[in-house]
Order: sequence, then C-alpha cells, then structure tokens
Amino acid sequence: MNEHVPGPERRVRQGMDYGETEEVGKVHAAIQREKIEPRVGLEPLSLWLIGVYGLAIFFGGAYLGRYSGNFSGDGLDPMGGAPHPVKAGAAGPGGAQAAELSPADRGKKIFSANCATCHQVSGLGVAGQYPPLAGSEYVNGGTKRLGMILLKGLQGPLTVKGAQFGSAVMQPWDKTLTDAKIGDVLTYIRQEWGNKGGPVSPEGIAALRKELASHPDSFVESDLKAVPDDANLPGGDASAPPKPGEAAKPGTPPQPSPPPKL
Amino acid sequence: MTPADIPLKPPATPVASSESAVTTADVERVERALIDASTRLPVLMFYSSALVWLLIGTALAGFTSFKLHAPDWLSDCSFLTWGRVRPAHMNVMVFGWASMAGIGTAIWLMARLSRTTLRHPLLLVAAGAFWNLGVLLGVGGILAGDSTGYEWLEMPPYAAAVLFIAYTLVVSWAVLMFRFRRGEHIYITQWYLLGAFLWFPWMYGVAQIMLFVVPVQGVMQAAVTWWFANNLLFLWFGAIGLGTAYYMIPKVIGRPVYSYHLAAIGFWTYAFFASWTGMQRLVDGPFPAWMITASIAATILTIIPVATVGLNHHMTMRGYFGLLRYSPTLRFTVFGAIAYTVFSLFGVLISLRSVARFLHFTQASVGYSHLGLYAFFTMVMFGSMYYIVPRLVGREWRYASLIKLHFWSSAYGVGLMVLMLVVGGVTQGANMDNASMAFSESTESILPYLRGRSLSGMLLTVSHVVFAYHFGLMLLGLGRTASVPTFLNPQDEEGFEPHS
Amino acid sequence: MKGITALFLGIFGTFAFSWTGLLLIPNYQIGHLEPQMDEEGNDAYPAPKSGMADRGRRVYAANGCVYCHTQQARPDYLASDIERKWGERRSAPRDYLFERPVLLGKMRMGPDLSNIGKRAPVEDENAPPPASVASPAAALGSAPAGTPAPSPADTKPGAPSPAPPAGVTPPAAPPTSPAPANPSAGLGNPPGAASPSPTPAAGSSSPASIAVVAASPAATLPNAPVTPTTANTAATAASSADSLTAPSGEPIPYSAAWHHRHLYSPRSVVQDSNMPGYRFLYAKRTIGSEPAADALRLTKNDTPPEGTEIVPTYDAKCLVAYLMSLDQSHALKEVKATAPAAPPAPGKGTK
Repeated sequence: MNEHVPGPERRVRQGMDYGETEEVGKVHAAIQREKIEPRVGLEPLSLWLIGVYGLAIFFGGAYLGRYSGNFSGDGLDPMGGAPHPVKAGAAGPGGAQAAELSPADRGKKIFSANCATCHQVSGLGVAGQYPPLAGSEYVNGGTKRLGMILLKGLQGPLTVKGAQFGSAVMQPWDKTLTDAKIGDVLTYIRQEWGNKGGPVSPEGIAALRKELASHPDSFVESDLKAVPDDANLPGGDASAPPKPGEAAKPGTPPQPSPPPKL
Repeated sequence: MTPADIPLKPPATPVASSESAVTTADVERVERALIDASTRLPVLMFYSSALVWLLIGTALAGFTSFKLHAPDWLSDCSFLTWGRVRPAHMNVMVFGWASMAGIGTAIWLMARLSRTTLRHPLLLVAAGAFWNLGVLLGVGGILAGDSTGYEWLEMPPYAAAVLFIAYTLVVSWAVLMFRFRRGEHIYITQWYLLGAFLWFPWMYGVAQIMLFVVPVQGVMQAAVTWWFANNLLFLWFGAIGLGTAYYMIPKVIGRPVYSYHLAAIGFWTYAFFASWTGMQRLVDGPFPAWMITASIAATILTIIPVATVGLNHHMTMRGYFGLLRYSPTLRFTVFGAIAYTVFSLFGVLISLRSVARFLHFTQASVGYSHLGLYAFFTMVMFGSMYYIVPRLVGREWRYASLIKLHFWSSAYGVGLMVLMLVVGGVTQGANMDNASMAFSESTESILPYLRGRSLSGMLLTVSHVVFAYHFGLMLLGLGRTASVPTFLNPQDEEGFEPHS
Repeated sequence: MKGITALFLGIFGTFAFSWTGLLLIPNYQIGHLEPQMDEEGNDAYPAPKSGMADRGRRVYAANGCVYCHTQQARPDYLASDIERKWGERRSAPRDYLFERPVLLGKMRMGPDLSNIGKRAPVEDENAPPPASVASPAAALGSAPAGTPAPSPADTKPGAPSPAPPAGVTPPAAPPTSPAPANPSAGLGNPPGAASPSPTPAAGSSSPASIAVVAASPAATLPNAPVTPTTANTAATAASSADSLTAPSGEPIPYSAAWHHRHLYSPRSVVQDSNMPGYRFLYAKRTIGSEPAADALRLTKNDTPPEGTEIVPTYDAKCLVAYLMSLDQSHALKEVKATAPAAPPAPGKGTK
C-alpha cells in the first residue's frame, strides 16, 4: 500500500510546482532561503583531544593485552592461554582427554555404551539369558578369566551364582575395545554393585591379548573352568599397577593356555 | 536529465529569476530545485514506506512490550506469540523503518552534494517497491514461523534475496551519482554515505553467505551474526546518521563545519574501530577470549571518533544553540548527535568485562540498541525529514504544535524507555549474578521497569502517529504555502535568521 | 577530488581488516573443529542431534525461544551460571559443532537451557558416578522410557513400568541426581525447584526426593515424603507407576511430561514464570475409545472440557525432544574443570 502513496496526484503537483502559474518565489521558498551547502573549516586539533586519543589507545591496548587469552583459538579464558589439564596426577593411561576421569569412571561409560544392553546397568543381567555381574564369582575372582571372556567372547551354557544361563552369546571384544578400555570396564564392573575386585591394568590385557592372539573362537564354560578362579592377569589385582616396562611380564606365573580349540 | 543539463551558466530562459542580473546564487538555486525535483518521487516513496513501517513496527513493539509483563495476552495464536512478534518488530524497525528512511535521506543528500540530478528515478522507485516486498516477505515469514533463528538476521533467505536486489539498485544509483558528481570537493557527508553504501552489501552478503550458502560451523554462526548486527548498527545506520548530522547542522545554521581535520580523523577512526566491535556482545561465551577482547578494545577505541565527532559538532554549533528553539531539523538532529555520544559511551561501559558480568543477558542491551537506533538514528532521520520533505512537496509543515508534540513525545519516550531498560537491566543483572537469589527473582525484579517501558512506548506511539499524520498532510499537499519555514516557536528575537 | 582513490581503498580496507580479524581468523581457529573422541575414536562428543531433536531446534528458533533463553554457561569465575547449576563447566565452541542455527542467546528472561536435558530426572547416564546407590536410577535411564527422545511413552499411564529390577535396592540415600540433593531447595536451584508448585506436594519438589520417586516408584512410594494425595488428577493406580509423575500428579521437573505441561501452561508448574504459553503447539481433541497415551495431565482451569483432551502436536514433541537433548555435561579437554558444588565420587567435576 505504501507504494501507492506517491500516486498520480503528486505528479500533478509536480507539474504544478514547476508550472508558470504559481509564484516561483513562493513554491521554492525553501530553496530560495536556503543557506549555502556546508563547507568545512580547518581548525587544528586541540591538545586535550590528543590527550583523549592517547588515553583511549592506552586503555584499549592495555585491555587487549590483559585479556587476550594469548590470541589462541583454545584460549577461552581471558586471563590466560589454553588451559592446562588440572590435577595432572589423575591423568591415567587415557591421556589428556580422559585426564579428568578415573579408570572406573571411564569404565562406566564404556559399560553403558557396550555392556549394559545385556548385563543391564544394574549389573543383574537377565535371568536365563545374560548372567549377572553383580556378585558373580567370575567378576570377583581372578582377572584372567574375565580378560579371556572379554577378549574372545563366550558361548554355550554357563553357571553363575548357581543359576544356569545359556541361550545367549557374548561377543568377542578384542577387535572393538582397546586394552585400556577393557581394563577400565573390568575395573568398573569389579568395583560396582558391591563387587570387591581390584583394578585391571591395560598392560595385563595387552599381555593376555598376545597370549590369545591365535585363539580363534569364543570360549565355553569348560575353557574357563580350566583356569584357576584366582588366576590373575599381570598386574591385575596388584595394588599398584606395574610399571610399563613390566607390562609384558606376567606378574603371576602364567597358567597353561586354555585349549586352543575345543 | 543529465548533469550537462544543469545550467552552470546562467540559464538561457531564466526560471527562477525575474531580474535580468543572474547571480551565482540564483544558478545554484535553480540547480538545487532541479535536483530536488529529480529525487522527489523516490525519496518520498522511501519516506512514506518507512513511515508505514514505522507505524507497523510501533504496533508490534506494543505487543512485544506488553506481552513481556502480561505473558498470556494473545499468546494462543502462533503468529502473535512473543517470540515471533519481537523479531518481527525488530526487523520492521531495522529494515522497514530505519533503512528505508536512511536510504531516502541518503539519496537526497548524495544528489545534493554531488550536485547532480537523479537519473531514472523510477528505477529507484522500483527498488523501493522491491525493498518493501522484501521486508513484507521477511516479516511475514517470521510471523509465520519461518525465522532463521539468527538474531538480526531472522528474515528467511528468500526475503533477504529480494532485499538484496533492491539494495543493489539503490547502491548502484548512489554510486553512479557520486561518479557523476560535479565540483572538486567531496564533502564529509559523502564519505559517510559512500562508506555506508559500500559496507552494507558487504556485511549483508557476507552474513548471508556465511550463514546460509556456505554455512560456517557452530559458534562461528553467532560470531557472524553479531559481527553483522554491530556493523549494521555502526557502519550502516551510524554512518548514515552521522553523515546526515554533518550535513544538517552546518546547513541549517549556515556556518562551516568546525574542522576538516577533526572530521577526517573522526571518519577514519570510526571506520577502523567501529567495524571491529560486535563480539563484545558474546562476552564470556564459548569463543576464544581474544575475539571478544579485541572487540571490547575496539569499543574502547571508539571513544576517539566519538569525542572527535562530538567536538566537531559542538564547535560548529557553538554560538548557535539558540536556534534549537526554532528549527525542528536542528533540534532533532542535535538531539540525535548528543544521543550518539551517549550511545557510544554507554556502549563502551557495557562492553567492559567487569560491567558485562552484570549487564550481559539483561534488558540493558535492549536499552542500548534503542539508544542507538532510536535516540540517535531515528531522531536524526526525523530531523532530516523535517528539512527535506518541504523541499520535495513545495509546502511547509502545517502545524508547529504537531512538530513540538512529536519532538517532546519522542524525546521523553525514548529517554524514559532507555532509562527503564538500563536501570531495570542493572537490577536484573545484579539479581541474576547473585546466586543466592532464585533466578525468577531477577526476572520479577525487572517487571516494574518493563511496565514503565510500556508506558514510554505509548509516548512513542503518540509521537509516531502525530508525525505520520503530519507527513500525510504534506503528501496531500496540505502544507502551508509560505516563504518562511515552520518554526517551533514564533521568532521573538531579532538577530537570528533561522532557516529550517 | 583529492583522495578519491584513498577514500575507496580506505572504505574497503578498514572493512576487510575487520572481516579478516573478526571472522576469517576465528573461523580458521575454531571453525573446523572435530568432535572430541577418546583415544580410540569412541565416545564422540558432541554428536549430531537426532531427527526429532533437530526439527525441534527449528521449532525453538521459529518461536523465538532464543530471545529469552540462552544456551551458554559462563565460566564460574566470571558469572554465577555454574553456581546456579545451569552447567557444570563453561560452554566451549566444540559444544556447538552441529548446531545450526546456533542458538546462544543474548537475553535471560528465562533460565539458561544449555543443560536442560541433563537436568531431566531419568537421563542419568552421565551423572557423576554415584556409587551403587544410583544404579536403579541409571537402570531406568537405559530403559526405553528414558531415552532422550521425547517419548510420549514417558507419560503413558498404562505403560508397563519400565522397572527393570528397579526395586532391587530401594535407595536408602537419595541418588545423586544431577540436581543437588539439597532439600532446602529454594535458592540457587533451577526455578522449578526454586518456586515449588503450591500443591501439598510442595515438599516433594525438591529434585532429590523426586528422583527417589522416579527411580523406583513402587518401592519408595511409602517413603515418599508426601501426603499421598496420590495422583489426584489421573487417579489411577497406573499413574502412580508412571515413572515421570510424582505421587501428587505433578510432573517431575524437566521430564518430558513437565516440559509439555510447562509449554502448555507455564504458571501451572512454575508459579512465577514469565513465559507465555505455547498452546498453539498443542491440539485439543475429543477422547476416542480411551485417552491418548500422550495427553497432557492438566489441573485447575487448564483442564480441558469433559470428553476432550490436550495432546502435543508433532512440533511440540520435537521441541521437547530438542530440550531433552540439550546437555553439555561431557568433559572437554579445552575447558578447565570447575569444582563441582557437591563433590561427587572421585571423578573430577567437569563432566
């Protein structure tokens, strides 16, 4: 609608304004009396204005220097550069990203992502299908059997806490999870739900992984029974994780390998 | 009509002079009359569209303001929900009112200062029609739920495309006029206008491209948005507003601008520093600290152009402040120029990290925007309209009383609004920062101020309706025919020769 | 005339400088981030939003939620956002990798929403390791009803209680839900808790106790510190088993049911809310053979006329799905840890 405001009527007036009928002085009064177009004087800068400039530049520059965050893309903190990981002591094998988390914390995430579907977040499993982890003798016992199960999987019937499970298969995780993750998740399940197991170190898993490298299939219950229930991975239950150099060396005498194939 | 048509020599057939002796001044008058005639259609078209948008925007502003303290009012209708009315209001005001008024004034100023007639004015009218279409599409899209979600860039891309076409036409004409300018001198106003005309497509194009064509990742979108928003405020509206003030003040009082040096320093530091502001609106957000600090530092440095321009205007005005009593143009323009200084200094204040802790995320930033877009820019535009429209329609403003009413309701309205929003924002921010108070207390504490803001909105509504009515009278040719302009007050003193 | 070239060059140069400095260089610095992964390439954060949540973001943008709600938590030494439990750490660029449009917001007429999904009662996966106590809640979290998706199932009255072996360990202590286990709710808590609804169940709107109820309704109902006006609105036994409805019939803050009710009638759940209702996102219809599973449970004068019910439209469901997906609790390596207010397990604060 607004386009129509300057409609034809105004054109008429346009004609009228420039027509000879009106007194020119009157219609152009505004222009007639108008002062000349603006010009510019050439007064110099005053000193105090230069002082204001100086102050502004000083404060602006100081501000920029003070809160620059070192001009880094990661420097979210105006006071300094990129953050340093706090609590360096907590930095586990997970490296920088996971520096904030304990192995059990990381394990919890891995557990909820990978394991909780079957074993449930409660660790109670599903009767007849997925054995419980809470209070399980396998979980609370030695770490070696746990490592075997995780790395290569498990199939066939299994008795846990006196109950029979059998219809489901545990998949091998050696291709999916790293040693560190397996260690973390084992550490987690061994501390959660009232379980009282010790931590599991990634080095121990690495050693076991080498040991089982040629083992093609999932284990069955009899394979596990062949391993003493207190057999530990190197460094497994030890209160302090072994130094990296010792990782490959078994902390406990290695048990005879499970039968390569059933 | 080409530049060659404009008589530099005494015209063969005297148009404006009945005397035989034709002076240079007479020639210049004829020239101005021709220029004004050539810009008449597009400028009036932009002005009247702008005023229609101003009224629409005022209505939307009323919705926005009332709904803030009466949330259930008319909330059941999807296109009247607060979250759609607010961006609609803002876009109508920014792109409908302020931009169209600014373009109207800028075209006229550019023609006058380049001393060249506007050729093919109908194409500019077409540009205006496209611009209106773009705003209509954009605002309609926002109300229909098509908002892009980027603040200040809510208009859906199809509307932005239409706006861009319109803008291309406008800028081509402005630059063409500049290209065909006559005379040696490039006046200060032309610097600002040229800057504004060249910066706008850049910022708008960059924002559209970086958001919709080749979208940037994550938070960079917010950086683009606020870079655009602040540059729109400073380098588009700010540049047009300052350029207009640089013309109107010396023109009305008939005295040269105080200092070229100040003007040059003011312009270049403005272009340099003001373009770096923007990120301070994201203070403490998920951005590298240096980006935000750089903008804060740039904001601090805008003190330089602000002090310079302010001083230049002040020294130009010195000794002529009495004219504020008579000339509507001068009164609005000077109000705007002072508001510009306040706006910029307030901008410096709220950008500082220590202050932003309390004022960030509060209504104070809304107050800041109104200070810039209304107290400064809109008032300068009103002033320029009071000057330009009589020259286009050949009539004087009809009622001095309406002009006075317009001025005072605008001035008090925007003053009250900014005061309410800033004081309310301080309260809100202080309560928000105090974690021992429930969050809702911070929003509750600002409600009285928001009611006060609604009151100020009523004043502004009065002002806008009055002005639109007065403008309508002028369009219909119902202005006074007189050889003296409409003064705000009768001339009761000798010695002054106010010219509006 | 002099300096016309200089004028043009200056106009272009200054602006090119600003464009480079404020957009191009930062874009180079933070414009090409990758999701953060752990060393093995798992556990990627952030992840793109699901279809409904993604659409919900459009609804959020279209209706201008961004003009009142921010989605950014400022660092604790610069503002009180963390103290207000709007987040556990400051927001970082990486949090917004897949956000388009990014809705940081500029105004807080309403609380910050950057972690609103995290504050939902059952979405507990990332909560600080709460030792064994929280496992029932966590179990619930993995149950179908607790997916971050909006899940009309959440409000389904007759739905089989998701109770896995939820009852196993009736929580003796309040589970460490994301909300502080601080019964003196009032100050500093999210508004839902700060302004308890005026029902007799007010005492129960302390998030902690609600979380108990949520965790295993059946088991803890007797312990709930509520005078059981059990489910006065939908007075069926089924509703008390509804995992997301407190015994009073009030939805638990920040659950999907709560969001729907809050969107429909803000002041019925948050007394001093300033938010407009978004009733146009809900449809009123005649009840068919039986009430719709996702019908809103409304009280007082919001109650629809007899024989009709209020159901969320698809947009409303998407919006709630989006809200439930807002969660910045994942640790980021570029963000310093913030000391949590209530220290959880040995885990560090920033999660």
